[in-house]
Amino acid sequence: MKKLIALLLALVMVLGLTACGGSGTTETQAPVATEAQTAAPTETEAPAADTGSTNDLPRNETLYFAGQQWGTVNSWSPIGTNQNNSMAIAGGPSGYRTVMFETLYMYNFMDGSMTGLLANDDWAWNDDMTALTLTIKDAAKWSDSTSVTAADVARTFDIGVEVNNTCGATYGAYIDSVEADGQKVTINAKLNDAGQPVNPLKVLDFLTGVPIAQAAWIDTVVERNGGDATKILNDAGDDVVWSGPYTKYYSDDQKVVLVRDDNYWGQDASMWGKLPVPKYLAHTIYADNAASEVALKAGEVDVAQLFIGNVQDLWEKDGLPISTYYEEAPYGVCLTMPTAWYNMNLPVLAENTALRKAIAMAVDYDTIIANAMTNQSPTFSEVPRSLMNPTDGEQALYDHDAVKDLQWAGNDIEGAKALLDEAGLVDNDGDGWREYNGEKISLNACCPNGWSDWQAAMEVVAAAGEKIGVEITTLYPEWSIYQTVFVDPAQTEYAIFMWSPEAASPSNPWTRVNQFMGKDFIGVSNNWSGNWGQYVNDEADALIKQIPLTTDEAELKDLYTKLTEIYLTEVPSFSLMYRPSLFHTVNESVWTNFPAGDDGRNIPPADCTDGYGIAALYELELVG
Amino acid sequence: MKNTLRQVFHSPKFVIGFCIFVAILLTMLIYPLFNPGNPLEMIGVGTFAPPGTYVSLYDAIGTNTETLRLSDADDNRIAKALSNEDRVAMVEWFTAMGIDVSELDINDTDALLDLWNENYDESAKPAGMTLAKRKYYKRLNNSLVSLRAADERIIAEKNDEGELEKVDSINKTDYVNIKDVANVKTLPLGTDNFGRDVLKELVSACGTSIKIGLIAGAVATLIGLVLGLLAGYLGGFADDLIMFVTNIFTVIPSFILLILISNSIGQEQRGATVVALVIGLTSWTWTTRSVRSQVISLRNRDHVNLSKLSGHSLVRIVLTDILPYIASYVVMAFILQVSSGILSEAQLSLLGLGPKTTEVPTLGLMMNWAMLYSAHTNGSWWAYFPVILVITLISFSLNLMNTGLDQVFNPTLRD
Repeated sequence: MKKLIALLLALVMVLGLTACGGSGTTETQAPVATEAQTAAPTETEAPAADTGSTNDLPRNETLYFAGQQWGTVNSWSPIGTNQNNSMAIAGGPSGYRTVMFETLYMYNFMDGSMTGLLANDDWAWNDDMTALTLTIKDAAKWSDSTSVTAADVARTFDIGVEVNNTCGATYGAYIDSVEADGQKVTINAKLNDAGQPVNPLKVLDFLTGVPIAQAAWIDTVVERNGGDATKILNDAGDDVVWSGPYTKYYSDDQKVVLVRDDNYWGQDASMWGKLPVPKYLAHTIYADNAASEVALKAGEVDVAQLFIGNVQDLWEKDGLPISTYYEEAPYGVCLTMPTAWYNMNLPVLAENTALRKAIAMAVDYDTIIANAMTNQSPTFSEVPRSLMNPTDGEQALYDHDAVKDLQWAGNDIEGAKALLDEAGLVDNDGDGWREYNGEKISLNACCPNGWSDWQAAMEVVAAAGEKIGVEITTLYPEWSIYQTVFVDPAQTEYAIFMWSPEAASPSNPWTRVNQFMGKDFIGVSNNWSGNWGQYVNDEADALIKQIPLTTDEAELKDLYTKLTEIYLTEVPSFSLMYRPSLFHTVNESVWTNFPAGDDGRNIPPADCTDGYGIAALYELELVG
Repeated sequence: MKNTLRQVFHSPKFVIGFCIFVAILLTMLIYPLFNPGNPLEMIGVGTFAPPGTYVSLYDAIGTNTETLRLSDADDNRIAKALSNEDRVAMVEWFTAMGIDVSELDINDTDALLDLWNENYDESAKPAGMTLAKRKYYKRLNNSLVSLRAADERIIAEKNDEGELEKVDSINKTDYVNIKDVANVKTLPLGTDNFGRDVLKELVSACGTSIKIGLIAGAVATLIGLVLGLLAGYLGGFADDLIMFVTNIFTVIPSFILLILISNSIGQEQRGATVVALVIGLTSWTWTTRSVRSQVISLRNRDHVNLSKLSGHSLVRIVLTDILPYIASYVVMAFILQVSSGILSEAQLSLLGLGPKTTEVPTLGLMMNWAMLYSAHTNGSWWAYFPVILVITLISFSLNLMNTGLDQVFNPTLRD
């Protein structure tokens, strides 16, 4: 009998183990952050492309990165969507990463300029802005030595629309077709009912934001996947043809290495006239920010895209050869503004403009900037709040005096209290908390767990609530949960929640303004695109729709000023800080001559890889 | 009872543990009287201000001064602005710029400064010099300004026309008595990442953590005691059933259970009390097992049988004939549970699964924020080390009391 029981028990255990093992094999797709968030690691499961060995990378020929790649690379296909390959394929917020795949133009967020890469600097609109023409450089070649032609550009756009990849989804609504004639590309804008282009600004984004893929290679991919869109989007692209100066060399779960293509067409005098300096670009895959920071301090990393608290301590206290783009705070170029969005699905927020404004007025932004950003952001007294980022170009787009009375610098507890009292949101039952319709106002303030700078900001928002008698508690869900909730247009779980609007591109600040108050995103499911609080304002929307077609500068300024007025009066959301879209911290133990704010070269601090920032790779020098 | 207490307080281990614990408790009670206010108030703008006494510069300017002629004042001033490494670095700069330094005595501050002021050029880019190094020289040059400054610094205010007008001046020999300055703040343990007074927060957190430990310990001990008593005394099926459940919980690591439960409760519901309850509900198993074994050895004693024969109820037998015999053991178990409850809260909070963060400070939350802000890598020891020390002291004192009690009550250990 005992033996039988023992046997049965053993059987149950074996079955149990098998069952557990079975459930463990169903893997879920890991999230890929849509913007360069320093604390959002991504995971993958695909096999590595192994073509080289990393044991013999000479230090003085290798530029090491950190803060970009958080897991094993899963794809080398520039037309796919299922990729985490941030060293080679990444649409950064400040320009596309052009080390392996190249865009038509390189965006420079320092001055908003576009420099020709695959294309000549000859792009031009026709008179009514319905078509844009440009020509491809004669010297531009693919890695298989064939020429880059206009047909490649057309095919890249067409396949994007066919399979609805990022290019198709982003630009399909604004570009009708791309025509090829030898080296000449004609981009026809989509027209509205009145025969005007829907949005010429978005067409410009296409020039700097889409990596061009080879038409012949796209055909191969389509053929091997039988034309199935899902398969094409998930193709690993190991046989990809590229046009950029680097290509894949080695990749596994420890490291990804790109090697210089010494046949790169850009050596031609019509482009760079030389090869980039480092032979290898390597990115060790670190567990987290802290590990990356330790490696940066030890000189194992040359360029770090990491938020480092009190970064100045690295050189002032520790005496390390580390520097940032600017010597003084805010150390980098702030292009975006992480924002707290009010959830308009909650009646208490939707019906009380005074409550929205009062909370925003009471928040102590100086503390957020000093604590969460360790002063790596201008304060709201230095750059008063509006819809614009702190760059001079955007700041000039609205009338500062016209909205002066509406702007607030924060920590105005008495003002906020007065506003609430006036609006009748008072504490009737004497428990210290204000009520609305007889119920205590109780809100939560959310951001993903582990995103420490945002968490600190939410703590400060909660502290402000307590001071004005509005209960605000912080809530930090895991990223995997957060990313499914805040993009749901009908969610009522998060009352005040954080997300960043767009940083910089040729279409900004329009895109950002549209994200703040545009109606395009109302009710859109899985809404990663904008207006996360679902705020509706017809007047603002009408103004937003006028901007892309307005070319007169005074008129444009007037429109942006009116929009700023509406935004600061209605307060559908409030920005908490300004923030670099990319952090750019360099260690000069091995390499030097990185771009710096005062060097007169106009190379943006874009980690030597994004947009015009790649120009830095051609000018690096070895130390000593 | 009196005798027992006397015995207990003769155990040096218990007395030491007790004294440490009482000292912590007293600090918790007394310190807020001296330094009242919300422990979560963010007084500092900025992260991790180091421990020390902060004097309001604004107030100090208006304060009456005394003139002190200190012979080493200038030397101190120079040493502060210009270290030996800086001197060597200056010579390196001269060399890189091709300036002859063969005549220069590196310790001759005046000569060094003269040469520097004559030659330093911010825009110069010596060959092979990194940006970081050039920036260092720029900072060094700025810090030398104070050495080059005149003996007098002028305080000016804007007059009605908006022009600066001298209102006061400060000499190198002017000193103020710190007692005369209106605003002086001593932060014995500096501030944390939010600019909160660490000592004040620590004292308050200590109270919360002890409360969590007490609740968790009480819950765990109560469950363990009841189940252990029943299993041990009743025996038979009841024993089998209770031990079956206990064994299941023993096999699953309690900390994993703790993480799972805390995670599923969700942060909004996780107050300090809820966390304490969760900890208590997952850590009762060993108490059950040991109470049961104690009870088994007791249940066939003569006095218990006598009680049974007299027709006493189960509750009465357990409470009057069994519980008093294991009371000392239960007290010891309770102390250990309190100690492990405090540790569990710290571990949970460190993982971000502790109580809600805006309401009360706890020791674990303080460590969690210190870790999130890399206090351990940026040298801000005051943000986490005192917390670790307090956690260690609390568990050390509790464990010491436990060992002391054990020596008194455990016959095999008795001297």
